[in-house]
Amino acid sequence: MTSYLDDGLTIRSWLTTTDHKRIAILYAIAITAFFFIGGAAATIIRMELATPAGDLVSHDAYNKLFTAHGVIMVWLFLIPSIPSVLGNFLLPLMLGAKDLAFPRLNLLSWYLYLAGGLVTLEALLLGGVDTGWTFYTPYSTMFSNTYVVLTLVGVFITGFSSILTGLNFIVTLHTLRPPAMGWFKLPLFAWGMYATSLILVLATPVLAITTLLLIAERLFQIGIFDPAYGGDPLLFQHLFWFYSHPAVYVMILPAMGVVSEIIPCFARRPVYGYRSMAYAILTIASVGFLVWGHHMFVSGQSLAASMTFSLLSFIVAIPSAIKVFNWTATLYKGSIRFDAPMLYALGFVGLFTIGGLTGLFLASLALDVHLTDTYFVIAHFHYIMVGGAVMAYFAGLHFWWPKATGRMYSEVWARIAAVLVFVGFNLTFFPQFILGVEGMPRRYHAYPPQFQVLNLLSSAGAGVLAVGYLLPLVYFAWSMRHGASAGPNPFGAKGLEWQTRSPPPTGNFDHPPVVPDIVYDYAPDEPAPAPEPAP
Amino acid sequence: MVDRRRFSHTALTLGLAWIALLLLMLASLGSSYLNLGPWNAVSGLVIATLKAAIVAWLFMRLRESGPLIRLVAIAGLGLWSIQIGLSSVDYATRAVTPAAIQSPQQLPPLQAASRPH
Amino acid sequence: MSSAALTEPKDEPDIGKLGMWVFLASEVLFFGGLFLAYLYGRTHWPQGWSTASRHTDVVLGTVNTALLLTSSAVVALAVACEEDATQRRWTARLLALTAALGTAFLVVKGFEWHAEWDEHLVPGPSFALDVPGAQEFFVLYFVMTGLHGVHMIAGIAVLAVLARGRSRRREWAGARQIEVAALYWHFVDIVWIFLYPLLYLVQRHG
Repeated sequence: MTSYLDDGLTIRSWLTTTDHKRIAILYAIAITAFFFIGGAAATIIRMELATPAGDLVSHDAYNKLFTAHGVIMVWLFLIPSIPSVLGNFLLPLMLGAKDLAFPRLNLLSWYLYLAGGLVTLEALLLGGVDTGWTFYTPYSTMFSNTYVVLTLVGVFITGFSSILTGLNFIVTLHTLRPPAMGWFKLPLFAWGMYATSLILVLATPVLAITTLLLIAERLFQIGIFDPAYGGDPLLFQHLFWFYSHPAVYVMILPAMGVVSEIIPCFARRPVYGYRSMAYAILTIASVGFLVWGHHMFVSGQSLAASMTFSLLSFIVAIPSAIKVFNWTATLYKGSIRFDAPMLYALGFVGLFTIGGLTGLFLASLALDVHLTDTYFVIAHFHYIMVGGAVMAYFAGLHFWWPKATGRMYSEVWARIAAVLVFVGFNLTFFPQFILGVEGMPRRYHAYPPQFQVLNLLSSAGAGVLAVGYLLPLVYFAWSMRHGASAGPNPFGAKGLEWQTRSPPPTGNFDHPPVVPDIVYDYAPDEPAPAPEPAP
Repeated sequence: MVDRRRFSHTALTLGLAWIALLLLMLASLGSSYLNLGPWNAVSGLVIATLKAAIVAWLFMRLRESGPLIRLVAIAGLGLWSIQIGLSSVDYATRAVTPAAIQSPQQLPPLQAASRPH
Repeated sequence: MSSAALTEPKDEPDIGKLGMWVFLASEVLFFGGLFLAYLYGRTHWPQGWSTASRHTDVVLGTVNTALLLTSSAVVALAVACEEDATQRRWTARLLALTAALGTAFLVVKGFEWHAEWDEHLVPGPSFALDVPGAQEFFVLYFVMTGLHGVHMIAGIAVLAVLARGRSRRREWAGARQIEVAALYWHFVDIVWIFLYPLLYLVQRHG
């Protein structure tokens, strides 16, 4: 029987497709490429930081490297990753629908993403930009001699890809649910996509206008962001962080959605507290719009504003904590299997918790004065974005790989990679918490010799992490040729996507799927499918 | 016929709304030439809000729309007002210390920073 | 027990309308950042703001406002006509009229900008007004009206295409598509409704 993969074998059929599943794969290829480019920048950074002296690259080159790393990883990898790959692939399947609400708009989203990514890459190749991914003024508008405008144009274009994807998901979830699937019968992955889409649609436009104002200020050389003219650099920061803080929730909410699909499956238990999980997702998205000033505590912002943002930042941690409790409670009295997706998902829970708790330290005004712009902050956000979001992305890739490709990957190698990633990640980033508390500042390519041991550990960890990330390329590719044939439901999972063939036909379902009464209808005594035979 | 009456009713509503919009525009223009102090800005914005409400309610048919569409409209406006409001908390409470390089301040600062001892 | 899922879209007409409203919500946040910048400028450079605003062409600005408000009424009428079997023959002409009014707006804007260029009101080395903040006002003026103009061009193009499609009875130029395009047009009108007092009417009595 033909699947969506056989439906047109030419490159042209792929480049003009409106099939959400094919578009998801187009995104997957592109973001994988950007992931490794951003990772290459990180590799050079960690090689430089293995020794105290700034001897591998010049300080200008170093500035361009960490800027490239940030710009690529945030906008060209993390923001699109789970929504545009897993969300695109799975949302219509989870709803029993044939496609998203606006399939052609979906293809346009991919082309916009590609165009923006290529423009950004071009800026990098021409010589890069050295302002940091945060583009603070007046340096970025008045003093930097690098390709600021070109990079911002790339970011601007990519932003519209996000907005249109979010729009597509919102309309899809409101209008294409089957009649039997009310909001509280939706899988939590769908809830995660919905809340993420709200943020994409409402926050990304602010990034768009901010980049335009930056470009205008740089071109006119007269500005509202420049104190020399009586302007306010903090006006830029308010505008920038109004988008960029909700952006981190764009990165984590889909990850939480993925984890909520995987843990119940591999613990054979329904998720604990489904409704509170759904409400927590919505709360995180909404309150997440109110906390952006916590990036500006030492910028000169007023004390009253800082206190307000600090309080709100503490509040936004609460729904995340609720989710961590509920994932843990889901495991209780479960029948747990440590398949690769579960290893990544459990890793997510632990590492996200550490990252989230360290966020609370940063939300305290007094502590932030000491910790801001140090490696503590870098460790904090990498724990959430890499230990959290990237691990969840890998969890999802592994969980739904059989569905998307019809092949099983090597379980042994997948588990090895998961462990390498976990060990490598902690070795890379835990020392950075200590470095930050001890006072090592971020964005410097040289440091005092007393910080060397921890930096060396961190760089060693980065090497291990790199191996862990490269392994899936090998065994996923291997599985396409030699992997065992996956049935429709190799993991015994619930959810409408598992009621169709692997890989699915172009129209998603041969027969209309059946919406169960209970959303995560797992039972620990229900026999799970036999574990995957060794390769 | 019902259809004909409905159309006439709709066309009449649109016509009246159009006239109201033009009159409000002239009111806005006229009031800007009167010296009302800070109330000039207020009247300009209030009139603009009224015009926008007419366009949104009658032309964009929010009057007949379901709760979902109205929620979408409110979400956009609500979030934008949060952006303005919460940013203004910073501006309203920030002590201002002009630097020597800056052009002369046009407004006495709401709060001058206390001089260092 | 459990029920079979429907794989067909539930309510065809609502999908496009909902999609457009969601898009308009994002546009509110898009223009919204500019209003924050404007608010900063107006409160920090009150003299610069009012001096600069008095140098905008209030006659052309008012004419443009009238043109745009009228175009909104016309496109709303077009939507109403399309929904009435006996009035449907007017739809294409009303859509074309809306596009024409929008084009007239852009032509007037072009004259305004040209005049402002001649009077050295474009920010840069030869800027004419010496009050601090006046240049910043005009940066925002050109960015805001320019961005608005780009949105107008897109709207005019869509309306013109729909007018032509409707007159040839194409199925992609039906009531649903026209209503969705009209929603976009009204939004662009609302943005201008706020730009008008903010840009043209600051301290006119001074």
